[in-house]
Amino acid sequence: MHTKALYSLIFLLFCQNLAQAQETTPTIGTFSGNFETNANVFLRDSAINAINTPQYDRQFFGGEAWLNLNYQAKDLLISTRFDMYNNSNLRIPNDSYTGIGIGRWYIKKTIDKLQLNAGYIYDQIGSGLIFRAFENRPLFIDNALYGISAKYDLGKSWSVMAMVGRQKNAFDVYGGSLKGARVEGFFSLGSEEKPISFAPGIGFINRTMSDEANDNVRNALRTYQDVDRFSPIHNAYSGTIYNTLTAGSITLYTEAALKSTDIFFNPFSEKTEIIGSTLGKLESKKGSVLYASISYTKGILGITAEAKRTENFSFRIDPNLALLRGLINFLNPLNRQNTYRLTARYSPAAQDISEMAYVMDVKLKLNKALSFGVNGSNISTLDGDLLFRELFTEFIYKQKRKWQLTAGVQTVQYNQEVYESKADVPMVKTFVPYVDFLYRFSTKKSLRTEMQYMKTKQDFGSWIFGLAEFNLAPKWSFEASGMYNTEPKKESPRGKLEKIFYPTAGFVFYNKSQRYSLRYVKQVEGVVCSGGICRLEPAFSGVRATMNTTF
Amino acid sequence: MKHLKLLGIGLILLSSLSCKELLPELEDPTIPESDRIVLIEELTGASCTNCPRGTAALENILKKFPGKVLAVGIHGSFLSEPTKKSKFDFRNPKAKDLENWFKPWFGKPSATINRQLIKEDENDPGMLMTFSTDAWQAEVEKELQKPHEMNILLESKYDMTNRNVTVEVAAIPLNDLFGPHKISIYILESGIKDAQADGPNINENYTFNHVLMDMLTKHDGDPLGTDLIKGQVYKRTYNYTIPIKEGLFDPKRMTIIAMVNKDNGVDKHVIQAKEVHVTE
Repeated sequence: MHTKALYSLIFLLFCQNLAQAQETTPTIGTFSGNFETNANVFLRDSAINAINTPQYDRQFFGGEAWLNLNYQAKDLLISTRFDMYNNSNLRIPNDSYTGIGIGRWYIKKTIDKLQLNAGYIYDQIGSGLIFRAFENRPLFIDNALYGISAKYDLGKSWSVMAMVGRQKNAFDVYGGSLKGARVEGFFSLGSEEKPISFAPGIGFINRTMSDEANDNVRNALRTYQDVDRFSPIHNAYSGTIYNTLTAGSITLYTEAALKSTDIFFNPFSEKTEIIGSTLGKLESKKGSVLYASISYTKGILGITAEAKRTENFSFRIDPNLALLRGLINFLNPLNRQNTYRLTARYSPAAQDISEMAYVMDVKLKLNKALSFGVNGSNISTLDGDLLFRELFTEFIYKQKRKWQLTAGVQTVQYNQEVYESKADVPMVKTFVPYVDFLYRFSTKKSLRTEMQYMKTKQDFGSWIFGLAEFNLAPKWSFEASGMYNTEPKKESPRGKLEKIFYPTAGFVFYNKSQRYSLRYVKQVEGVVCSGGICRLEPAFSGVRATMNTTF
Repeated sequence: MKHLKLLGIGLILLSSLSCKELLPELEDPTIPESDRIVLIEELTGASCTNCPRGTAALENILKKFPGKVLAVGIHGSFLSEPTKKSKFDFRNPKAKDLENWFKPWFGKPSATINRQLIKEDENDPGMLMTFSTDAWQAEVEKELQKPHEMNILLESKYDMTNRNVTVEVAAIPLNDLFGPHKISIYILESGIKDAQADGPNINENYTFNHVLMDMLTKHDGDPLGTDLIKGQVYKRTYNYTIPIKEGLFDPKRMTIIAMVNKDNGVDKHVIQAKEVHVTE
């Protein structure tokens, strides 16, 4: 991680800036930062399959911490982040990971129209279809670009950015390199009363695979039959063109991304073996993504519609990597991001090989007290096989500031075969009615309750979920919840159909910008989504403590 | 705007660049003549939808390097439960312990080739298990290039009257081998027809080979000795009574593998392995 060199550089820049500041202005800049930590105590519970990981078997404790420190003075920003993973289950949910060090640092300097950025950079092109370097802590995604970027302002509304670097991999970097550029801007047409504005952009990314990764591809191809072999090239090129058009109450975003012939692993493609065939092989194909979003807001009505078509757009720094590792781009899933426990239980991860997705969201605010919402989404493969379908309704009634009722129903069809790689399982079909009731006793005391029921004959069977949250503003919040498998369809690890209760209880304490929480949790295995990205996580049993603060 | 157009055109031209790469032909490496035998220990399971891909990779390797590679299929805990259409449950305590012992690993199918540690970089503590089935053959080729360090003599005496099998092993180092070493004895069965999850379907007529049914040693092996001396014979004898279970434990389909590995901290690499049929 070249820590000594980093500290020397930061120290030099800090001293130089201090000296300059003393000559020109009395201020020497400001320090700011934030701290976040999670601590888990693992309590083995074979009834819910919270077993057979190092944490349950022998470690018993695991956690993570991030301390971010920024120094800003005028046109200079220096930032560093200390990361610690101690027996953490974030990197591999059924395993333990330990690592400590400088997880990120960067220096940003603005010189007139030029902005230089060096270190671990987070950025994206367009909506991220061809490139997105970002962090998502709950899923252990931190694919910052370790390199340099330069952005130059071409007048008030236009800029050009170019970057080069390698992709971060925990406390190291992956082999191979990324180069890219982006031009984007803004202009307006039409009259002052009825303006039509455009925010167009164009971007480009080149990935050069490392020799080691390419050797691994070559080694794989040597095991393939002639019919499945191809030329293992190192370079892939990806370009995108996008625009946001705003005309009155209508906003239209469109983006089209293309990728040159690139090597990727296709889990659905048939591989010829010496005898018969198997599913899954490396392929070398071109890819594309088309995405459009239109929204209309006027008076009491708000409508948003989105569509996305994805074909062979798995874009990784190394095609031998799997799951959430080495992702260069970000494909947003086109479904509602649900927050209630049971309505969020079956969520689709965006498919990068073959997907056609639509979503429509309609909101109607009849008056200050009453509003309705309907959301519908449909996701299928390009061959028309259904992957996910959801219809979600929401009704909100506010009785002045005294109480608020939110209620609705949700129906979901979820292709568990594809999303969770399970064989011979039927499409999961659920029906979920839910109620959320908030009652304010006073300006400081309030009680929020949730009740949800999921009716399904598939997977684990039907569930009921209840939650009560008592808030004592501004310091305390106490909660207790329970999830109960009312009609179990899946045998527990003990080989029985058991009606298992998953309780959670805890509290949150606030002190100015600090937030502390402590919870006892029993959580069923399921898909966990964060920031539009989902993965299957095992059951959890134990105590969770979190703390975060800004300063 | 003029600059912008030029930049836009430049970007389009840049993105359309696709210089022809000069690529060498795909060639198989030359494997030296040697008595070295490589052991593949695979984590698999009847409910593992991707595991047939691992089995195919394994069988291809066995066909490509006849007599030079041995395989053990470990049906531990993860995705190893029988499918809805299964007749048998291949899970057993030794397989579960061994699967746990091999952690960390990313998922199934995974395999370790001669228990060599796979590292992404110098700071990476490494894993024994390789997740990518496509990489297994290259690891086998690497191992076959290494020098042959030990001969193993293995004999099975089966008494059909009481289903008792006596296993005699003799390990003879060809060099002085420093550090502690362990021996593991695997009891395997092949040719079992049963149901296997295969992609979105269940294949009810799948052939399971090299299934780890039991071990005659501890799951991570029994001590063989420290600082093994060249030419010295290290003997061990084991007895096993083959269980009676309908459709399983057919002595004619069963084999025994003896394996010696180093056991020096993180270095657990396999020195040599040998296989015999139970009824031989």
